[in-house]
Amino acid sequence: MAEMVSNRPAGLFRGGNNPEKRKKRSEALTAYVFLLPYLFIFLTFTVFSIGYAFYLSFTRYNLLRPPEWWGLEGYRRVLCLESLLPRGEDAPPLACDDLFIKKALPNTVKYTLIVVPVQTVLSLILAFAMDQKLRFRRLFRTIYYLPSVTSSVVISLIFVWLFSPLGIVNQIFNLDINWLNDPRYAFYTIMILNVFTTSGTLMLIFLAGLQDIPTAIYEAASIDGANKFQVLRYITIPMLRPVVFFVVTVGLIGCFQVFDQIYVMTSGGPLDSTTTVAYLIYKWAFRDTTVKMGQAAALSFILALIILVFTLIQRRIIEGSGSVGSA
Amino acid sequence: MKTLLKWFVPLMVLSLLLAACQPAATPTPEKVIETVTVEKEKEVIKTVEVEKPAERAVVRLSGWAASPEETALLQSLLLDFTVANPDIVVKYEPITGDYWQQLKTSIASGVEPDVFYMDIFQFPAFVRDEVLLPIDDLMANEGIKRDDFIPSLIDAFSADGVTYGIPKDFNTLGLFYNKDMFAQAGIAEPTNDWTWEDLQAAAEALSDPANNVFGLGVPADAGRFPIFVFQNGGDIMTEDYSDTLLDSPEAIEAATFYTDFRKNQIGAIPADVGEGWQGTVFGKGQFAMVYEGGWLIPYLKQQFPNINYGVVTPPAGPKGEGNLIFTVAYVISRNCKNPEAAMRVINYLTSVEAQTKVLESGFALPTRLSLQESEYLKTNPASNAIFRGALEGARPFVWGLVGSDVNDQMSKALERIYLENQPVDEALKQAAEAIRQKIAETQ
Repeated sequence: MAEMVSNRPAGLFRGGNNPEKRKKRSEALTAYVFLLPYLFIFLTFTVFSIGYAFYLSFTRYNLLRPPEWWGLEGYRRVLCLESLLPRGEDAPPLACDDLFIKKALPNTVKYTLIVVPVQTVLSLILAFAMDQKLRFRRLFRTIYYLPSVTSSVVISLIFVWLFSPLGIVNQIFNLDINWLNDPRYAFYTIMILNVFTTSGTLMLIFLAGLQDIPTAIYEAASIDGANKFQVLRYITIPMLRPVVFFVVTVGLIGCFQVFDQIYVMTSGGPLDSTTTVAYLIYKWAFRDTTVKMGQAAALSFILALIILVFTLIQRRIIEGSGSVGSA
Repeated sequence: MKTLLKWFVPLMVLSLLLAACQPAATPTPEKVIETVTVEKEKEVIKTVEVEKPAERAVVRLSGWAASPEETALLQSLLLDFTVANPDIVVKYEPITGDYWQQLKTSIASGVEPDVFYMDIFQFPAFVRDEVLLPIDDLMANEGIKRDDFIPSLIDAFSADGVTYGIPKDFNTLGLFYNKDMFAQAGIAEPTNDWTWEDLQAAAEALSDPANNVFGLGVPADAGRFPIFVFQNGGDIMTEDYSDTLLDSPEAIEAATFYTDFRKNQIGAIPADVGEGWQGTVFGKGQFAMVYEGGWLIPYLKQQFPNINYGVVTPPAGPKGEGNLIFTVAYVISRNCKNPEAAMRVINYLTSVEAQTKVLESGFALPTRLSLQESEYLKTNPASNAIFRGALEGARPFVWGLVGSDVNDQMSKALERIYLENQPVDEALKQAAEAIRQKIAETQ
């Protein structure tokens, strides 16, 4: 998109007497007029905000006093790395906050590694099922999609009830687990919640992908004598690859940024077992009495970098493993 | 022109009416001035009261909106104030949602209200960063004396001999007990002279773990546990907040006593019975005793109207009384353009009449010493017990700049003891180390 924008002005002011070009010019002008409102919002609330956050990540800032330049100290404190980002000789010992390295990062990676595969496979299975000519298929589709259109805060509160010690889950399975208050289980409860809410949307995307596959290919396969499993293995799944890439990417980014369910259900507790990177950013920026805006901004950029790296890696994996790589 | 005017008059009236119906926060002063000039041009209404805001001192007042009833009460107080002080316009801008987040961002962008609520817990950072206006001279102008207020409260909002806020209300912890459960167990009800031993003995008699009934609520809550440290002669932080005392022998002993309730199954945390707050558990009759503040009184009245309960001051420990004070003050921003007007608003809102009204509505306890003899407190023993809590041996709920970290670490240490069976001394030492690290971070 950036290229398109930067290329257009050239055509805008050249060769004004050519009717063909004049038409193009007026078209471009119309396009700009239509773009303007969004562009304005985009520049103010995205480009400027990101730029300012980038500046803040190099400052010490607690909102009450103006930001003060701090260099890489914020990044150092987040990463607990003195050696990677050397400081002056006479600097005091590094006062780092190990919550990111010890809790938030491992938690977030664990969360992503569990939730992304589970929700992808589950939604794929659901999509296959919904693609068959079942009775009440529409009803099922609606039911599976319902959690996705419900507010995540509402679902989180419902889950708090379901998973309370005297809640329905413990009663049905005859368990005595304090799901949300036991550091061993709290994070898994939130994972279950997330799989439950996102699978519906992902199912819908898979379903669209499935129905996009031309029937001619299936027909050709059946003429060649392929059985059902072979059709699935050699036609359906390869044809779905671009959709899988999309679903996994969206899931990955969503998982790395998981926040609202944690904010509502556990506030990062018990014992930091559900503190994720996004929640830690919020905690540093707003919840602590010592507001650490600069440090939080630094962590935001580290998180963005992590997401970028993971997305590139999985793009490699998905594109590299097969012949169809059009994503 | 005439037809135009015909339309204009009702429109004007309508717009004024609309403006009057809206919450005070919505109309901005510029808008009011605009309408006035239009009226003058048309010469429809010559001089109206509305014209005055342009000259009157505007004081923007902000606080969290705890409940619609409380907001309504404050608004009615402000109305009384406006009638008595026509030269001051108070614009009340309540903040719903995350108060501190919004207040701090408004300070960052320089648009903070002139007068706002200040919780004692957040106070140190606001003083250090010079957000608050010293008010000693303004107080003298208005004739407000420090001695009029409960000393522990006004002292809490002072630093280095300078006063920064007038306490608006407060709460302490009281021991709430379920009278029916005491009668059922056949033991004597708590008195103000109770000690730790009495507490323990009663908890034992009242507990029935098999039926999820426990004697005492002992949550992993940094707003409850510290009173046991105080009662054992210890403290959470040193006097200047430069170090923590959480790993001192007094604190470890207190934590052992506190967590043993759950260990011996004569106490529990709310999560054990599937609740988030022990107030609810108390209302349901599953905890026979809980340490809570005055906020539990209206909650019980509303949610559990049939519960038969009493309140006493917290039982004394080996080293005497100890309690926590949760208090909020009105403070003035350094950027305030009319400090005198702001002080007059504060003076009215913390006056004997205003505080009597607040007290009688049951929302909060008054900060003026003279009100300790009020009729309301005499006829409401529960509120009275909470009020008395501030008079003897209570300390404000404030741990210096790293307050939230101290709270975090304290509750985490208790959680580790409860949920991971970490030895008490180890848990507190770990917490103290983490707090020291945080203190170093602020350097």
